[in-house]
Amino acid sequence: MDAAVRQNQTSEVFANYQIPPNFLDEVFRAPGEVHPHYQAVYQQFLEFSKEEFKTLNEHAKMSFFNQGITFSVYSDKAKGVERIFPFDLFPRIIPAAEWAKVEKGILQRCVAMNLFIQDIYSNQHILKNKVVPADLIFSSKNYLKAMIGVKPVGGIYNHISGTDLIKHSDGEYYVLEDNLRCPSGISYVLSNRVAMKRTLFQMFRQFNVETVGEYPQELLATMQSVAPRGIDAPTCVVLTPGVYNSAYFEHAFLALTMGVPLVEGRDLYVDKNFVYMKTINGPKRVDVVYRRLDDDFLDPMEFKPDSMLGVPGIMAAYKKGNVNLINAPGTGFADDKAVYTYVPDIIKYYLQEEPILNNVHTYRCEKDDDYQYVLENMDKLVIKPVDESGGYGILIGSKATKEQISEFKTLISENRRKYIAQPVMNLSTHATFIEGDDQFEPRHVDLRSFCLLGKDRQFVLKGGLSRVALKKGSLIVNSSQGGGSKDTWVMAEDGASQSMQQNGSMEQSMTLNGETMTMGPQGMSIGTQGSMSMGKPGAE
Amino acid sequence: MLSRIGNSLFWMGRYIERAEHIARYTRVQYVSSVDAPLGQNRELILESILDMAGSKDAYFGVHEKLEDDKVIDFISISESNQFSILSYIGRIRENARGSRDSISIELWEAINRFYHKVNELMTAEMPAEEIEFFARRIEENSYITKGYIENTLLHNDVWMLISLGMHLERAIQVIRILQTKLDDIEKFEEMKQGSALENYQWSTTLKSTEAFDMFMRCHKTSPTRSHVIDFLLFDTQFPKSVAYSMEWIKKCIEGISFQQEESRKESLEFMAGKLACRFQYLTIEEVEDRAPQFLQRTLDNIYEIASLLDVKYLKYH
Repeated sequence: MDAAVRQNQTSEVFANYQIPPNFLDEVFRAPGEVHPHYQAVYQQFLEFSKEEFKTLNEHAKMSFFNQGITFSVYSDKAKGVERIFPFDLFPRIIPAAEWAKVEKGILQRCVAMNLFIQDIYSNQHILKNKVVPADLIFSSKNYLKAMIGVKPVGGIYNHISGTDLIKHSDGEYYVLEDNLRCPSGISYVLSNRVAMKRTLFQMFRQFNVETVGEYPQELLATMQSVAPRGIDAPTCVVLTPGVYNSAYFEHAFLALTMGVPLVEGRDLYVDKNFVYMKTINGPKRVDVVYRRLDDDFLDPMEFKPDSMLGVPGIMAAYKKGNVNLINAPGTGFADDKAVYTYVPDIIKYYLQEEPILNNVHTYRCEKDDDYQYVLENMDKLVIKPVDESGGYGILIGSKATKEQISEFKTLISENRRKYIAQPVMNLSTHATFIEGDDQFEPRHVDLRSFCLLGKDRQFVLKGGLSRVALKKGSLIVNSSQGGGSKDTWVMAEDGASQSMQQNGSMEQSMTLNGETMTMGPQGMSIGTQGSMSMGKPGAE
Repeated sequence: MLSRIGNSLFWMGRYIERAEHIARYTRVQYVSSVDAPLGQNRELILESILDMAGSKDAYFGVHEKLEDDKVIDFISISESNQFSILSYIGRIRENARGSRDSISIELWEAINRFYHKVNELMTAEMPAEEIEFFARRIEENSYITKGYIENTLLHNDVWMLISLGMHLERAIQVIRILQTKLDDIEKFEEMKQGSALENYQWSTTLKSTEAFDMFMRCHKTSPTRSHVIDFLLFDTQFPKSVAYSMEWIKKCIEGISFQQEESRKESLEFMAGKLACRFQYLTIEEVEDRAPQFLQRTLDNIYEIASLLDVKYLKYH
């Protein structure tokens, strides 16, 4: 069937697709008309009937179920009932050029945050220069005095960062939050890709999608790069709280794909400031620990004394430089909501660069003009207390009653330091297959990215976890709140298969980041030299 | 290998074998009790099932008398029995989950499917006639799981610890089956040595270990006490015989790169080697007269190996 003819048909799974007003839809720009980079996938999907789609959907679900990528459901009767993390077959596509900018922005931000953490635990220049208020840092419960003066190998603190991004109705990406402690979700990115390939292999192979599969090897190389000095072949481990942790699947997945032991606190012990694991062949020294344990639980001798999950004495070994911890303890103060508002200033301060990614504009009620603005525009804003997480104590102005608004005004006036306000962000929507209705409907999405910093090495995963709010109209993408996820395709070059042309002389050429690459009998040549390598962040 | 992982692998192997043997014994004994020769009483078989699974005390803790449905339900899925077959499947999965980074994805998926399949079968209560179907699923899936263990793992420490667990438990289960049957036969007051009923008991014993056909091929005579005990204890070629398992216990312990010990005589290798060698050269004539004592002593020896293994290598906190 001719492509032009097919385009005019509306497949039944897309027939009722309504683009919500005021939001940007990633797939459709008008009913039946998709953005150019979705054209090829859309046409493939048009060929499937409703029944075929249901079958594919079931197939993908079974793939997850059999892999054991499930949550336990703890209801009274249904023992052994497990649910999968919902996965959507329609991939989110990010064109190469668009991604290139996002990637630079993520790296810039993570590098700046690392310098910031380093500064705070050493000279505190940024506080002395009054760019960030000192009491904001010292009042944070995630600021660890124990880290003052500790110098981790390579000067790296946030080895693994998970920056959350959204696309606003103005078409720009905004950073929603920085996750610098133990960002999770990478196993879903990798499993989604496997499920996608298992289910839609015929379709998948026609596209030139950037791989995500190298992440475990990159992570291992990152860990090895920051091993204690003088260790040739470092022993790296993943430290998990145990099988009952909700992210245990991910911990096991990472250990398995990196080929390193998955340990629990009780497998490790410290002797004369060195860390060992107990094996059937005797004690074995451990050099780098990717710990998926909160700071509080890490070492009962240093933090929570009743922690059964940690390793007594590991902090002392860490301070001696005999073991490295990933991420460093005490990074949590830097991903506080209150610090978030200073990140653009932090980037400028350390890198002398303009931030590439936007911050959501934040009004700090302690500042007089901002305070005034917030009081006058409460119906358009989201008001958040700076020291709470998990969505507690938040007021969404557009959904609040008059009484609630006036109540909140009193609260803010009593403690202006405690509150910030942000405009409501219009998370973009993406076509998502909705079970039951058995058709595609728009649902809000965000994107968790993954960035690795090691000694003299940096890596940003090309793609990430696109989280979907499955409830109609909901802006909350968390898995605990009925969220799902999508495979995220960063295209290797814009235009994908279309731009790959074969000419008569057995030469193939394709365009990559604006450069033409030609492959022919004489070998391969690249249009312009030098700019292919990833330079220092923001060096341009 | 981490001691904790070693512990999980070892117990994974043991629980696979234990669940399979209890399921098979229950199925074979219960199903054959339905059309048994005259003189065999049904209650005796129900009691035998509980004895073999080591669940008699627990059963009488919640039930007053022996009833078909109650016993089968208790052995297979009952929540009031913390050692039901279903609970063992859960433990197999938990141990596999705890050692996921050591086993293949294929093995994990097989065990995970096994768990979900068995849970699907689970209803509020299992009526006795369902045991045939239920137990067959357990036995089949046990073989599937063992197929993945055999064919998708490196035959290194990981595989050897699982195999060690399986062979150790297999030897224990076969001995328990023999012990239970000897006890059962004692209870038939009217039974005379060599009667049809006793031979019938020995047939079902062989069937409870899937040994009947192979036994017939070797001995070519209807099963007698002496021949059956001989076959299940000392046949070096039958994979469920105790001698066969002993040989594997020895091989696995030798093959695993345990931390070296100072004194050879106190080592695990020495103990396992001594036991396996003794079994190679024992004859049925030497033990026939004091079979119950011999079985018990062998069982104690095996438990001793298991406990030494635990204390020396698998304890982790």
